[in-house]
Amino acid sequence: MELNKIIETYIAHHLGVKREGNVVTAHVPVEHIVAVCNDLYFEHKLQLKTLTATDEREQGEGFKIFYVFGVPGENIFVVPFIQLINKQEFPSITKEIHGASGYERKIRSFFGLEPVGHPQPQQILLHENWPADLFPLRKDFNGQERPVEANTPYEFQRVEGEGIYEIPVGPVHAGIIEPGHFRFSVAGEEIILLEAKLGYTHKGIEKLFETLPLEKKVRLSERVSGDTSFTHSLAFCQAVEKLAGMDILFSELERLANHFNDIGFIMSDTGYSFGGSHGARLRERVMQWNERLAGSRFLRGVNAIGGVTRDITPDVGNKLLADLKKLWTDFHQVIEISENSSSLLNRLQGTGKLDARIALDHGVTGLAGRAVGLEHDARIDYPYAAYDRLQFTIALENEGDVRSRLYVRIKEVYSSMAIMRQSLEKMADGEIRVAGEATLKPDSHAIGIAEGWRGDIVYFVVTNSVGSITRVDVRDPSFINWTVLGHAAKDNVIPDFPLINKSFNLSYSGNDL
Amino acid sequence: MKSALIWTIQIILIPVLSPLFTGIIRKIKAGFQNRVGAKITQPYYDFWKLFQKDEVISQDASWVFKFAPYIIFAVTIMIGASVPLFTSIFSFNLLSDLLVVVYLIALATFFLALAGMDVGSPFGGFASSREMTMAALTEGGLISSLLALALAAHSTNLFSMVHSASSLSIISFPPVLLAFFAFLIAMLSETAHFPFDNPATHLELTMIHEAMILEYSGKRLALMEWAAANKFLIFLALGVNMFFPWGLTASSESTAILTALFLFLLKVLILCLLVAVLESSMAKFRFFRLPDLLLMSFILSVIAIILMI
Repeated sequence: MELNKIIETYIAHHLGVKREGNVVTAHVPVEHIVAVCNDLYFEHKLQLKTLTATDEREQGEGFKIFYVFGVPGENIFVVPFIQLINKQEFPSITKEIHGASGYERKIRSFFGLEPVGHPQPQQILLHENWPADLFPLRKDFNGQERPVEANTPYEFQRVEGEGIYEIPVGPVHAGIIEPGHFRFSVAGEEIILLEAKLGYTHKGIEKLFETLPLEKKVRLSERVSGDTSFTHSLAFCQAVEKLAGMDILFSELERLANHFNDIGFIMSDTGYSFGGSHGARLRERVMQWNERLAGSRFLRGVNAIGGVTRDITPDVGNKLLADLKKLWTDFHQVIEISENSSSLLNRLQGTGKLDARIALDHGVTGLAGRAVGLEHDARIDYPYAAYDRLQFTIALENEGDVRSRLYVRIKEVYSSMAIMRQSLEKMADGEIRVAGEATLKPDSHAIGIAEGWRGDIVYFVVTNSVGSITRVDVRDPSFINWTVLGHAAKDNVIPDFPLINKSFNLSYSGNDL
Repeated sequence: MKSALIWTIQIILIPVLSPLFTGIIRKIKAGFQNRVGAKITQPYYDFWKLFQKDEVISQDASWVFKFAPYIIFAVTIMIGASVPLFTSIFSFNLLSDLLVVVYLIALATFFLALAGMDVGSPFGGFASSREMTMAALTEGGLISSLLALALAAHSTNLFSMVHSASSLSIISFPPVLLAFFAFLIAMLSETAHFPFDNPATHLELTMIHEAMILEYSGKRLALMEWAAANKFLIFLALGVNMFFPWGLTASSESTAILTALFLFLLKVLILCLLVAVLESSMAKFRFFRLPDLLLMSFILSVIAIILMI
């Protein structure tokens, strides 16, 4: 579709429309924003990709709040925004679009702007020891200063009734995993309510993005969520400049390694040790290829603005191709044997069932969404890099249980290998890209989106009048998907929770930022 | 003099060999997972290490928490000394009674569950609740499976049961086999093995046995784990000697004793292999499916009893 036509379709004429590459911004009066968002979301069925704010008070522009909607299939983003001058509140859209809830709470916690009409506007990510009147993403907040310790009480939701008791789990766990606190209210073994308290790995990433030099910003984006180093930095680099080519290979290697790992862990969490050990072994083979191709097992230091810093020679490419074939057979055998275990399938089937309606309302993204039949994949919806030149289908399952999430992964392993094969064959003509210097457009907004192995990663980047980046909003898929974990765990027995949690395998670091 | 020596072997055999069999199971399981695995003697080193370590005991711990490891360990030694292992010389031991042994095991379970709840950690609490649920459901299958043999022997003395079982005709072998399967299910439940519990898990929410001893450290943890290993070997010994009662010797000749010991180890090793294969080839059952399995154990033993009569 033509850009003009898109603007015509989605945005009313009287609004101040500005085109910036694949981003169409529109200045909407505050009182109309709820109607505009409802129209885009319900009438035009656009996806809410992220919702974030900027502090432009120094330029006399007040605060701005951006509502990023994606147009699937077009790689175009419609971004209505509102301006709050001398005001610290904005109308909440959560009552209509539930998926906005987390974003609005984050704006409230980090910018101190009140979402009026939000049903549950509690603090998010920042803990009780953080002063209530200090907002870290405002420009006048100094990130180097240690704030005074506050001591606000934290209230968990309570379930009352005969025989109901609470189990606190974490933030320190028995295994080597990221920290998070889970509060279960249970009746016997059955989970009545699960409340997750996160934020233990809050690192001030978005604040850091504002101060670090450009090159270091790329390195920082690799560290948002360690297991998705490459795709995070890919999304960030795309936001700054368009990329093409080799990045597909690395992005798929990352997906492969993590899917192997998760498939193994889901099986070993049911006690099926055969699948567990083979998952770990397959992952290790991919990790060794990462090391060989990129010099880093987690593909760090590969992305740069303007291209990737590592080249793959045809010789190495052929070896990878041959090894992929072996990997395919290997994986196929492991899955065949595992599928024959009725005790394994019994544990997976019906466990941690996520209702499709709940998933839709929360805007669940990525593989958790595909496991309930939500047909979204940024590689197809927003074809970045060279994905539009490759043949592959979206992996779909319909049940929304642990088995579905496992099978989405299994299918994606196969499609991922097919993608790598295609891109390796196409790369034969060998174009080498070198990372270049980037000059950024002033007063601009840009969005980078890339499908990490969990789901789509969205970066929203804003530049000031001299073309330096003043705000980077990071949206990891975990930020959305954490909100439905409690729904999936409800009515399951406590011993099944680790399995359910592992089938989502969300990032704490990417959520806490 | 000789009888004193045999007595000593009988008493120390279980605690001395039990860590070895834990190690053997781990080694076999590692093999199934394409891993090399630790040496089969690793549990000895682990216990030795734990005995040297300092302990951390919660302020809220009462005497139950502090004494439970000694009680449980002592109970397993006592049972180990009174069950048929390789010799039938001590058959008139009052402790060698089916009901005494089963309820001594229950006594250990009772203190284990109390210790799990004692410090008030939520994991210990729900692990104890699960353990007691399982213990109550397992008891029926365990007693009835052995009762089938007791009925044939007209005695609840374990040695008399072994004696009568070894003289049973080939026709009564099917009920013995049924009773053995009932016993096997009960054994897996009692000794925290698949599909009931995962002895190797680190997931605090799914554990049963491991969550009860989560608060222990140092020498008390070593005692707890050693007691668990003892219990496992006791069950292996009961399984192989009660249902496949060949090789026990009544003589005190050293060659006879050595042959009996060798046969005993061989039989236990075979059962060990069976458990390891079972653990490697299946997933853990969902918690609420476990009662079905235990019910099956009970039904199998009831059928065995009916066939025996």
